[in-house]
Amino acid sequence: MDIIIPEIWLRDFLKTKATAAQIAKCLSLCGPSVEKTSGKGNDLVYSIEVTTNRVDSASVYGIAREAVAILPMFKIQALLMTPKVTARELLAKTVDYLDASVDSDLCPRFAAILIRNIEIKSSPDWLQKRLILSGHRPINNIVDISNYIMLTLGQPTHTFDYDKIKNHKMILRKSNQGEKITTLDGKTHTLPGGDIVIEDASGILIDLAGIMGGQNSAVNENTKNVLFFVQTYNPVNIRKTSMALAHRTDAAVLFEKDLDPENVEPAARLGIDLFTTLAKGQPEAKILDIYPHPHQTKKLTVDYLTISKNLGINLPKPIITKILTNLGFKTVWKNKLLEVNVPSFRVRDINIAEDIVEEIARLYGYHHLPSTLMAGQIPDPHPDSTFDFETKVKNILKGFGGIETYTLSFVAKNKAGEDALKLQNPLGAESEYLRTSLLPSLTTAAKENSGEKEPFYLFEMANVYLPRKENLPEEKLMLAEIFFNTNFREAKGTIESLLESLHVKADFITEDAKYFLPSHRLVIKTKGQKIGQFGVLEEDNLIYGELEVAKLKAASREFLAFKPVSQYPAQIEDITMIFPERTKIGEVIKLITNNSELISKVELKDIFRDNYTFRIWYQNPKKTLTNEEVTKIRNKILQSIKVKFGGVIKS
Amino acid sequence: MAAGNPTELEVIRVAYLGRSGRLTSTIKKIKGLSPEDKKQAGVLINDTKNVIESEIANKKNSFKATPRKWFDPTIPGIKPKIGHLHLITQAISNISQTFEKIGFVRVRYPEVEWDWLAFEALNMPKGHPARDEWETFFVDAPDHPKYGQIVLTPHTSSGQVREMLRVKAPPIRMINIAKCYRRQSDVAHVPMFHQFEGLVIDKGISIANLKGTLDYFARNYFGTNRKTRLRPYHFQFTEPSFEVDVSCDICAGRGCRLCKEGWLELGGAGMVHPTVLKNGGINPKIYSGFAFGWGVERVLMMKSGLKIPDVRLLYSSDLNFLQQF
Repeated sequence: MDIIIPEIWLRDFLKTKATAAQIAKCLSLCGPSVEKTSGKGNDLVYSIEVTTNRVDSASVYGIAREAVAILPMFKIQALLMTPKVTARELLAKTVDYLDASVDSDLCPRFAAILIRNIEIKSSPDWLQKRLILSGHRPINNIVDISNYIMLTLGQPTHTFDYDKIKNHKMILRKSNQGEKITTLDGKTHTLPGGDIVIEDASGILIDLAGIMGGQNSAVNENTKNVLFFVQTYNPVNIRKTSMALAHRTDAAVLFEKDLDPENVEPAARLGIDLFTTLAKGQPEAKILDIYPHPHQTKKLTVDYLTISKNLGINLPKPIITKILTNLGFKTVWKNKLLEVNVPSFRVRDINIAEDIVEEIARLYGYHHLPSTLMAGQIPDPHPDSTFDFETKVKNILKGFGGIETYTLSFVAKNKAGEDALKLQNPLGAESEYLRTSLLPSLTTAAKENSGEKEPFYLFEMANVYLPRKENLPEEKLMLAEIFFNTNFREAKGTIESLLESLHVKADFITEDAKYFLPSHRLVIKTKGQKIGQFGVLEEDNLIYGELEVAKLKAASREFLAFKPVSQYPAQIEDITMIFPERTKIGEVIKLITNNSELISKVELKDIFRDNYTFRIWYQNPKKTLTNEEVTKIRNKILQSIKVKFGGVIKS
Repeated sequence: MAAGNPTELEVIRVAYLGRSGRLTSTIKKIKGLSPEDKKQAGVLINDTKNVIESEIANKKNSFKATPRKWFDPTIPGIKPKIGHLHLITQAISNISQTFEKIGFVRVRYPEVEWDWLAFEALNMPKGHPARDEWETFFVDAPDHPKYGQIVLTPHTSSGQVREMLRVKAPPIRMINIAKCYRRQSDVAHVPMFHQFEGLVIDKGISIANLKGTLDYFARNYFGTNRKTRLRPYHFQFTEPSFEVDVSCDICAGRGCRLCKEGWLELGGAGMVHPTVLKNGGINPKIYSGFAFGWGVERVLMMKSGLKIPDVRLLYSSDLNFLQQF
C-alpha cells in the first residue's frame, strides 16, 4: 500500500526537531519504507510504502506513531500528539433517530450520528491544500471531511442523506446472489452474494457497505441532514466483494485489512468536530454505537532465549523494554519471561513470539546486528543433480558455435500441441498455452533472424509441460537446436560430436513424423530407447534436433574405461567408390565397419558427384598388419559392397 | 659442388655417402686388401669422407642465406565459430557457484505448482490480500482436493516446503534457481523470469547468519567492496521479514541518481515463519531458518551495469543481441 503523507500534516501529531530527511531515513531503516520525499517546505510530502500487515500505520497519525517509537533509537527526541477533539456526545446502544439492525459478524462496530442543518460548500483552503498534497481532489466540505478523517486516522467513513433513508431504518445483512445496487459513481452492480449491504424500510439496498455508498442515499446539493457513518467490517467479505466486482475503492483497500474497532470512536468525534466547524451542522446528543464485543487485552509471553536465538546476540532487557514501550506495548519481566500486552491497533498483526522478536529487532536496527556465516554441518549433495551435466552440454554446444537463446514457455494454441495446458488468465492469445515442445518456439526464433546471410544455429535448454491426469504436468527438460541455412551434414555432425563428447553410443534410425520433410528425419536411440530426434523441417528447410536431457545424461559416461594404446600403427588407405543413385551411405559405412574386427575406423572423406572416398583404418592391436592381410580384408569389403549396394571401386 | 638447392644437395650426398653410394661401396671393397694396403686405404677413405661431409655441410649452410620468401603475417586468421551462452545462463552459473562454495545444494522444483505449495503452505490462505503482490497465472485444470488449483509458480519460494519435505532432517542449505511466471509485461517485467531462492534451516540459525550469508554473496558476486543492509518489510511466510539493499557501486554508497541514498534494492528475505516450518514437517521449537528469493535478471543488471533498457530483450532471439555476450 503506497501512501502520501504531507509534512505539515505529520507535524500536527509528531513533535520533534528531526528534519524531513532524518525522518525519512530512520523510518526506512526501522519501519515503513519512505520511497522518496518530494517538494519543499510546506509542500514537502513523503511517499511511503506500508506493508499489508500494518494497516494501523496507513495514515498520517499512524506514521507519526511509528516515528515517535523509532526516532529515539537514533537519539532524536519525539513526542506523539493525539488528535484534538472537542466533541463530547455520549455513546449509546440505541438512539431515537435511527433504527438499526446489525449483523455483528459482518460489522464488529457500527457507529452513526445524525447531524442536522448542514451547509454544503467548499472546504477551507488549509483543508483543500492538505487533500491536494496527499493526492486527493477536493469536492465539497462533506466529501472532503470523509477523506480528511480517513487520511488522518486510517478509518473510512461515509455520509448518507438522512432524509433519503426510508423510515430512518437500516438493516445491515449479507446480500443474496443477484441483488442489484447502483453505487454513487453511477455503476450498477449485480452482487455475487455474501456481500455486506444495508437496506432501508422500503427493502431497497442503499449501501454497498465498506466499498461505496448507494446512489439512492447519496448526499447532494439539496441535502439538509446527514447521517455520519463510522464502521469496521469483516475483512473477508469486503475483500471478496471488492475483488469479485473489481471495485477497489480506498475504503475497501483499508477495510479488507481488518481495521481496529477502537479507532471508530476517535474518527467519529473528529468527524463531529469537522461537521460542526466546517458545515455548521448540529449533531444529535448521542452517537449510536453498536459494539457487542469490545476490545479485550491481548497478552503474549516471550522467552528471552527466543529473542537472543533469533537475533544472534543478547540484548539487554532494558533496551527490549524501552523498544516495546515506545511502540505502545505494556511489558512485565518475570525472570526470563517477558509478558507483553498488545495495543488494540496491533492485535491483528502480533500473534506469536516471533512477531514480538521482529518489533525488537527492527527498532534495535538490523544494521546493528552482527554478520556471521552459519557454522554447522554442510548438507549432503542432491542424489540426482543434473546441473553440472547441463552446464557441460551447453558449453560443448557453445564450443561448436551454438548460440543459446531463452524463449517464453507460453505459446499460441496452434503452437501448443494437443492436450497442452491452457491458462485461465493469459495475457493474450499469443501466450495462452504452455508448450509441449520447443520446436515451434525455436522455429519462430530462427525465422526472426531470416535476414541473416551466414548460417547460424540456436539452441535452448528448457522444460516442456506434458499434462498428466489429476496431477501436475510432467516437466521434461529438453535440449533443442535449430539450424538456419546450414548444410545437413554439418548440422548432423554437431549432434554426432555432442554425443561423442558425452560418450553416448547412439543409433540414428530413419522414421517419418509430423513437421519434418518425408524421409528427412532420424530418431536418435540408445539401447533401443528413443532419446531424441533430428531432421529437416517442412518449414523453410530449417534443420531441427532435440534430445531429452535426463535420458541423454543416463546414456552418457563421464569417461570410458582405459584402453591400452596400441603399439602397432594402423594402415590407412583411401578408397573411392562409385554407387548407384539412392544409396544410403550411412549403411555402406556400417557394412564396412562391421566387416572385420581389424577395421578400427571408417570415415567418409569426400564426395564428388557419385564418387565417395572412404578413409579406412586397418589395425591389429597385437601386431603390425602385412600388406597381404590388408589386401584380404579390402577384397572382402569390396565384394560385400558390390553384392549389397552395387558399389564399385573407381578405376 | 654444383648443387643449387637442398634437394640437389641431398641427391649428391646419397650418391657418395648413401647405403649404396660410391664411397660406401669403396669401403666394402677394403675387405679384400692386404693388411698393409687396408691401413692406407682406410686413412685415404676417411680423409675423403671428411672432406665430402664438410663440403656438404658448408653448402647446406650457404642455402640458409637465400633471399626471404614473401610472407604477410598481417593477413586475418580463419577463426573457428564462436558460440554464446545466454546472459541468464551465465548469471545462474555465477550465482550457484557462489552459494555452492558455502555448502548450498542446488535444487529445482516444479514451475507449474499446486496453489498449496505456492501460497497456502507459505501462510497465505485463499483470498488473503497479501496474494495481490503475486500476479499469478492459473491453469485451466481441475483442482486437487488437498492442494487446490494448479498455478504457474510466481516465485521460487514454492520450493521451500518441498525442500523441507525432501530433506526431512536439517541441516538444509538450499539454492533453488528456476523459471517463475507473473502476469506483467513492461520494460521492467517479463511474464517469464528467473528467481533464486536460498533456504537455510538448522539449530540456532539467526538474523546474524542471514546477514553473514547476504554479505558473503554481495562480496563474491558484486565485488569485495560491496555491503548489504536489511530494512523491515512484511511477507506472510517469514517473521521477521526484510527488504535487502546492496551498496551502490556507482557512487560508492554516497548517493546518486541511480540509487536510493547509496543503496540499491535487491529483494526480500526473512526468518522462516514457524507455520511454514510446521508445514514442511520441521519442529520450529528445535530448528530455525532464513530464506531469501531474488530475481536473477535483477542481480544480473545490477552487477554488470549492462544498461539494457528493456528487460524483455533478454527473451528475444535476435542474433544482434545474443551474439553480444
